[in-house]
Amino acid sequence: MEEYAREPCPWRIVDDCGGAFTMGAIGGGIFQAVKGFRNSPSGMNHRMKGSLTAIKTRAPQLGGSFAVWGGLFSMIDCGLVKVRGKEDPWNSITSGAMTGAILAARNGPVAMFGSAAMGGILLALIEGAGILLTRFASAQFPTGPQFAEEPAPMPASSFGDYRQYQ
Amino acid sequence: MPVSVGPYGQTQPSCLDRVKMGFMMGFAVGMAAGAMFGTFSCLRIGMRGRELMGGVGKTMMQSGGTFGTFMAIGMGIRC
Repeated sequence: MEEYAREPCPWRIVDDCGGAFTMGAIGGGIFQAVKGFRNSPSGMNHRMKGSLTAIKTRAPQLGGSFAVWGGLFSMIDCGLVKVRGKEDPWNSITSGAMTGAILAARNGPVAMFGSAAMGGILLALIEGAGILLTRFASAQFPTGPQFAEEPAPMPASSFGDYRQYQ
Repeated sequence: MPVSVGPYGQTQPSCLDRVKMGFMMGFAVGMAAGAMFGTFSCLRIGMRGRELMGGVGKTMMQSGGTFGTFMAIGMGIRC
């Protein structure tokens, strides 16, 4: 989710909002299916029906709350990009914290602070994992330099051919 | 040779690879987050000692699984 090959800034909001809605709806569908299946009275018919009801009531809600989070997050992210003039992990962490704070604003300052801390820590973990992953991936695959050096032998071989023709 | 080569000269991972990578990354993030928040909440409801370890471990696994699933879906819908 947090790669740096993302959309350019104004469109990122739409992209993140829709992506978060889809993610929340699908994930919520999976989890609510299991939950509805387990909470229903026994009998396969009841269980299937309960599972379907749980999906229909809860999965769009979860998708909506994911979409709110994602949309607000990338709005603040884009705002910070514009204000600070650079794109780095601190943008994401700050906007995660601010998103948490804003979404908990109606529950009082203590809840705001807790939610902001949660958002900030979560986004910091995600960013850290992303950085570690890219570093690890670039160190792990030895094919990278080989592919990067692939254009280099090409002129050499053609040069060799050229010399042979002479 | 029409191998899809990324901008940094390495082969693009396949869709399943990306989903698996997303799951692993989400699992790791969820474990770390679950360790922190699970410790706080288990301490707050008064768990100590061996019970605390079990509670934190359970929270870690739960949140790791949840996060991993969501990250895997998030990777899956983008490829």
